[in-house]
Amino acid sequence: MIIRNLSVRYGRFTAVDDVTLEIPDGRIVGLVGESGSGKSSLARAVCGLVPHTGTVEGARRTQMVFQDPYASLNPRMTVARTIAEGAGPGEVERLLGLVRLPAELAGRYPRELSGGQRQRVAIARALGGDPGLLVADEITSALDVSVQAAVLNLIRGLRDELGLTMLFISHNLAVVRYVADVVAVMHRGRLVEAGPAEQVVGEPAHEYTRALLAAVPRLRG
Amino acid sequence: MTPPPSTDPPVPGMSPAPGTSPVPGSPLAGVPDGHGPVSSSPPQGRKPEAGGRSRVGGPVRGRWLRGGGSPDPGPSRAGRFGWVRRLGASGVGGVVIVAGMVVLAVVGPLVWGEAAGRIDAAAILQGASPEHPLGTDNLGRDLLARVLVAGRYSLLLALAATLVGAVAGVVLGTLPSVLPRRAARLVTATVNALVAFPGLLLAMFTAVVTGLGARGAVLGIGAAIAPGFARLTQTLAARVAGADYVAAARMLGVPRRRILTRHVLPNIAEPLILNLAQAFGGALLGLAGMSFLGLGVQPPQYDWGRLLFDGFPRIYVTPEVALGPAAAIALAGIGFNLLGDALARAAARTSATGAPAPAPAAAPPGEPDPGAVLEVRDLTVAFPGGLTPVREVSLSVAPGEIVGLVGESGSGKSLTAAAIGGLVPYPGTVTYGALRLGGRDVATLSDRELGTALAMVFQDPLAALNPALKVGGQLAEVAVVHEGASRAEARRRAVDRLGHVHLPEPERLAGRHPHELSGGMRQRAVIAMGLMGTPRLIVADEPTTALDVTVQRQILRLLREVVDETGAATLFISHDIAVVGELCDRVVVMYAGRVVEELPAGRLAGGAAHPYTKALIASLPDLDTDRERPLAGIPGAQPGPADVGPGCAFAPRCALATARCESDRPELAARGAGQRVACWEA
Ligand code: SF4
Repeated sequence: MIIRNLSVRYGRFTAVDDVTLEIPDGRIVGLVGESGSGKSSLARAVCGLVPHTGTVEGARRTQMVFQDPYASLNPRMTVARTIAEGAGPGEVERLLGLVRLPAELAGRYPRELSGGQRQRVAIARALGGDPGLLVADEITSALDVSVQAAVLNLIRGLRDELGLTMLFISHNLAVVRYVADVVAVMHRGRLVEAGPAEQVVGEPAHEYTRALLAAVPRLRG
Repeated sequence: MTPPPSTDPPVPGMSPAPGTSPVPGSPLAGVPDGHGPVSSSPPQGRKPEAGGRSRVGGPVRGRWLRGGGSPDPGPSRAGRFGWVRRLGASGVGGVVIVAGMVVLAVVGPLVWGEAAGRIDAAAILQGASPEHPLGTDNLGRDLLARVLVAGRYSLLLALAATLVGAVAGVVLGTLPSVLPRRAARLVTATVNALVAFPGLLLAMFTAVVTGLGARGAVLGIGAAIAPGFARLTQTLAARVAGADYVAAARMLGVPRRRILTRHVLPNIAEPLILNLAQAFGGALLGLAGMSFLGLGVQPPQYDWGRLLFDGFPRIYVTPEVALGPAAAIALAGIGFNLLGDALARAAARTSATGAPAPAPAAAPPGEPDPGAVLEVRDLTVAFPGGLTPVREVSLSVAPGEIVGLVGESGSGKSLTAAAIGGLVPYPGTVTYGALRLGGRDVATLSDRELGTALAMVFQDPLAALNPALKVGGQLAEVAVVHEGASRAEARRRAVDRLGHVHLPEPERLAGRHPHELSGGMRQRAVIAMGLMGTPRLIVADEPTTALDVTVQRQILRLLREVVDETGAATLFISHDIAVVGELCDRVVVMYAGRVVEELPAGRLAGGAAHPYTKALIASLPDLDTDRERPLAGIPGAQPGPADVGPGCAFAPRCALATARCESDRPELAARGAGQRVACWEA
């Protein structure tokens, strides 16, 4: 799958400027950038949610998981109905299992779930749409660290089990490095660097990538 | 196995801007106006300043309760009469009136129907008398009976009109989301034009066109109600249509009409239904008005408006014949409006029910610690309903020291900071054994003393800055208000401090408004504001959470610089243990309202002893994490402030938990120099 010469403009403002990025089959491409870098606009363009120029080639269906698990589930629909929307009622149990949620949760409403559980339901709903590409936009930034870890483990597990192709967007370089096979760095609407995760983090080629790396907080000792 | 269901606790997070309105959904919004659980405590916390915003140099003073001074919690009335409390007195009045009306509508014609129809040639056009308390009409029929009987017809007509209006309104309001774009725009424009059109004219016009009589009046009033409903539906639907779950449904290929019926309508139904009660009151009055104008119900049928119409010519001779129906109309209208208002209010708040939290026993304050700028002992914050989000927290901060207070959402860390700043929102109560700033009890400090000694920095710098004022002027004001400095001197100092926090061209920047600055620059300006006085204590609550990592790095560096220079004691609150580990000297870890570990920051990576601290560190991926192995994570979720049991709060998620952990709570115990841990097994 390849994103070719994609641009997003809002009036005069260019949010995404001529981005070309390949997303290999069965791989996770991590996209990092700070606020205003255009990473979320790119995600929405790939999903067809905002008007754009350029093409997205080779993606069958695209599904998205959103940042805020409290706003991305219909509060009036049970987990089962939410998941069945894309997959059909017969698939609910299998999908819950895929995201490591017990089948008993099927009858619950979103308000009865924790943030991490909601995010898993959102992932199950997206998987139910049989995505050729799954776009995850800051899906762990609203979660606590201890919950984030489990969601990141799940994402990697899904790649290995289902051969899921994924565009994983985050402002957190350490998180992206952990889940992604390929890391792409965006700055002011442009793609400044892309390459295998260890290489981008270990031998950053672009000055901005180096600045990002230097800013990641680390425990001393 | 399964993590327990949502325990994201309703912790009233500290509102970043004292004086701004409470967030709906927080217990703040759950405070019924004056009908809350009985508590003798004075309103705790925030006293809005002029402009509704507080500034860093002078935090708004709240009231603290010294230990033992906590109010005696009265018995709870919330249980049995919960609905009374929720509706409020006016709501109860509405319920009573509406219930009375419904009963009248059912039984009225059965009981008084015969009396209302009995023609008595001997008693034509009489005034009030013992047999006819409201007089008689031109056929000698008893008017009191007729008023009582007319209730059913009046209410039924109003119901019909409301339904006509609501159905038409909802259809008009939802059409734009299913129609092609051009047609949708036409509908929207029509609705907008109708909303601007006077309702009564619309009603009369429709009634005249559709023919005089009850049907015309119902259609007329329905037409008058419809545009309002349409507008409300449109607004609500537009909000829901922008939600992420609608975007998700679109991507799954759910057809537009299904999106409307599944996602949009169910989520706007509640406010629409609430609006019905109010619309009903309006319809009742409107129909009476139509009948009174002769456009409504025609004889021999009669409703209250018709009775009023018939009685009106006699009002100078026998006023009671007109006052009876008039009173019935007014009472019904008031009843439905009160009920509608109360329902809307009750729906707008999440209820905070249950008994007030028991007052914690306070420890004796003891002697002040001379080495600490901030000394907190046994600080507890409680909310009505048995919620105690902060429990007996003790910590101290020395001059020039940065202490990190770290925890995940619901740990009580922000509320601890709020309590130290006197910013706990109503109806929270703060109790403590000791809460000293520079050796003195905070409750004894004057606003001015506190204003110059304490600087607070919040996550959202915009909340600390008045958007209408220039940055330089706001900083200068701190010195003018708190230190009585002259304008010119204050202004000079403001520019100097702005330069101090490495803002470029401070002279020019002082003339800018907050919105002209980037997020990082604003946070610098807020820190500069804190430096206008001579802060002895800086409390920074997630000051870099909303910033990009590169900007965060700069602000952290600035904070350290400021602390080294001023020797201020600093309490740095954050959810991010890596940030805390990098910036701070000492770290205090909170879980479920309590301190579970305290240790030097340098020992975080290798010397953390509490299972929660360890798990928190292991959960955090960093740039050296092994990518081949799964991350550690912690199963389950943090318990809410109402769900904390008698034992160790971490026990349900702890790999080392034993039977003792479930029943007995471990106290903080020293473990080597500078480290304290609350765990049986560590
Ligand atoms: S006291 Fe027990 S449950 Fe609590 S942290 Fe220690 S070992 Fe775990």
